[in-house]
Amino acid sequence: MKAVFTEDTAERRIESTPLSHVSVELGHLYMEDFAVGPERIREQFRLVAPWFETLRRTLHPKARVSTCFLIDDYFSRFSTPAEVVPMVIEAAAEAGLVIDYLARESACAHSGTVDVARLVLDRIVDDPAPGSNGSRPPLTKSGWLCNGRREADGAESEAMGTESGWRPPEQNAARRHSIFIDVELWDEPRGTRVWSCPYLAAVWQLMRLGLLRHHGRPVVTMSRVEEGFPGDWDALPPFVQLNPGAPPFAAYRTASVLSSRFLPVELAVRTILGQVAADPVVLSQVAGRARGEGLRLEDEVVDRVSYVFL
Amino acid sequence: MLIVGEVHTGLLRNRGELSDAQCREALCLVSGEQVRTSLRPLPHAISPEVLAGVDCRLPSLSGARIRATGTVTHRAAITGGRILQGSSYAVIVRAERDYRMPWSHYLARPGQVEVQGRPRWRDMADGFMASELALDILDFGAISGRLMNRVQDSPRLDRKTPFKTTRTRLRWVMERGKAEEEEGLPPVRLTLWNGMLRTLRLTGEPDTRIVAFCEDLALHDWLLTTLQTLIERALIGTAAPTQIAAKLSPAIDHLLHLWMPGARMDDSFQPLWEELERHPGFSRQWKSSVERIRDQVAVNTLSLLSVMAESRREADGDPISSRVTPPDGT
Repeated sequence: MKAVFTEDTAERRIESTPLSHVSVELGHLYMEDFAVGPERIREQFRLVAPWFETLRRTLHPKARVSTCFLIDDYFSRFSTPAEVVPMVIEAAAEAGLVIDYLARESACAHSGTVDVARLVLDRIVDDPAPGSNGSRPPLTKSGWLCNGRREADGAESEAMGTESGWRPPEQNAARRHSIFIDVELWDEPRGTRVWSCPYLAAVWQLMRLGLLRHHGRPVVTMSRVEEGFPGDWDALPPFVQLNPGAPPFAAYRTASVLSSRFLPVELAVRTILGQVAADPVVLSQVAGRARGEGLRLEDEVVDRVSYVFL
Repeated sequence: MLIVGEVHTGLLRNRGELSDAQCREALCLVSGEQVRTSLRPLPHAISPEVLAGVDCRLPSLSGARIRATGTVTHRAAITGGRILQGSSYAVIVRAERDYRMPWSHYLARPGQVEVQGRPRWRDMADGFMASELALDILDFGAISGRLMNRVQDSPRLDRKTPFKTTRTRLRWVMERGKAEEEEGLPPVRLTLWNGMLRTLRLTGEPDTRIVAFCEDLALHDWLLTTLQTLIERALIGTAAPTQIAAKLSPAIDHLLHLWMPGARMDDSFQPLWEELERHPGFSRQWKSSVERIRDQVAVNTLSLLSVMAESRREADGDPISSRVTPPDGT
């Protein structure tokens, strides 16, 4: 006979979440686009629609595809949800698109009581430059994240024995030549931390990939808005399900149809995503689900993220 | 394939024992992550696992240059609300390609360090078991030590220790190997170096559950080392009994109840503990040290009682009574 003894607090419990095959972001707009008026929004969706169709055609006809749209209420606030949200839904519908889920960009920083941005920050493992043997903490520049070794000038590089007084920056995994990227994650004007647009967009990708948990619970919880959209952004839930019959918000892969002006932002997003160590338990849950559906899923999170740049 | 790690063990810088809730706060290294705690058979709390990126050389006895890239897992644990451990480890495997991959490749294999070229595992394991490692070699000790400092700096701690102790370091390697008779390798080899370093070499089927065994061994080795130091400092046979008892009291207050080898481990590693109990015999030495402390305390109590009885006799004017009277006079 063998006794079995367990303690609740000694176990790690991680909730698994349902997943679609692909989460498609139907474009992204700055507040100034909204300020131009409904025609700019319509034009945006008219451009996105054929690419969305193309994306669909690359998938199995029965593939679960959910669509989403992120509204920037973090960096600037424009109008009210009561005015903007119906305008967006309508403009999309005119182009034959259905927005299944709507999210507020501020939810990528804070969602309810959860400090989502901090959650992701604590999971960043810096890409180590050659020679990093653990003897020193990573050479981080507070609020910045790069993919290599920063340049050294003057005294710094003389101390290292270089003659010219300057050593160029270097990408860690360079293919012969470097493409060095240094991303600002936040700044703190007047003592308050403001997360950068690429940082919040990286969090957004992780949410869409269903990889974030807070004490084992999913960070994204959907709300429904039954009686009209509120007159204040803060009164709008962070995540809203607009289409009741939509497949799950989170998906194995994401695809974003974006204007080319977002290319630098997304390059920064990929630099960040390449250094986020998602919870191994969550990763294996997702991989297990994929296997169960006979799906081959990329091991590297950043490889599950794709784009169409217009 | 090798699994390599280093465990640092020391006393938590806090006057009192930490409660379950305080341990949770002190070990909260990643926001939104749980600190796992258990109360039986001994209060134990373990932090979420954190990764550190490395891209550096690995040791080798033959002097071969080995480059490796990947992540080292590390975690902190508090036992009995009193003893802190910083533990780091990595599974060392051969890389599929002989060049540095994008970092996301390594993050998709958390806790693995990939070796470029053709690794000679035995040579590498030998290299890790040296007492001194070259400065540019993967430094598990620095990672564990920094983690210890991070917890010790927690605002939850009052930074006052009830008595002076030293940190111990246990560096360990587990290499793949067959049974003893085939390759002539014992399943476990523990070496105590001068100072606070211990090295442990294990042979068997590599499995990361071995980390818990190494942490358990490091904990008990620290307890034994600390107890020995307290006994040494007490100057038994030289100092006055009251002084000796005072020097030994931290052992009774803080350490003696924590001895439970193998309490929180997978059953499959119990034979390793049994080996170490046979030789050098950890519990044997612990038991004899504990008995020595208790004897000293008993001697001190007796001498205190006789001093009190003496002074009472003098006060009562009864110089011939030979009875020892308890101090409260009952």
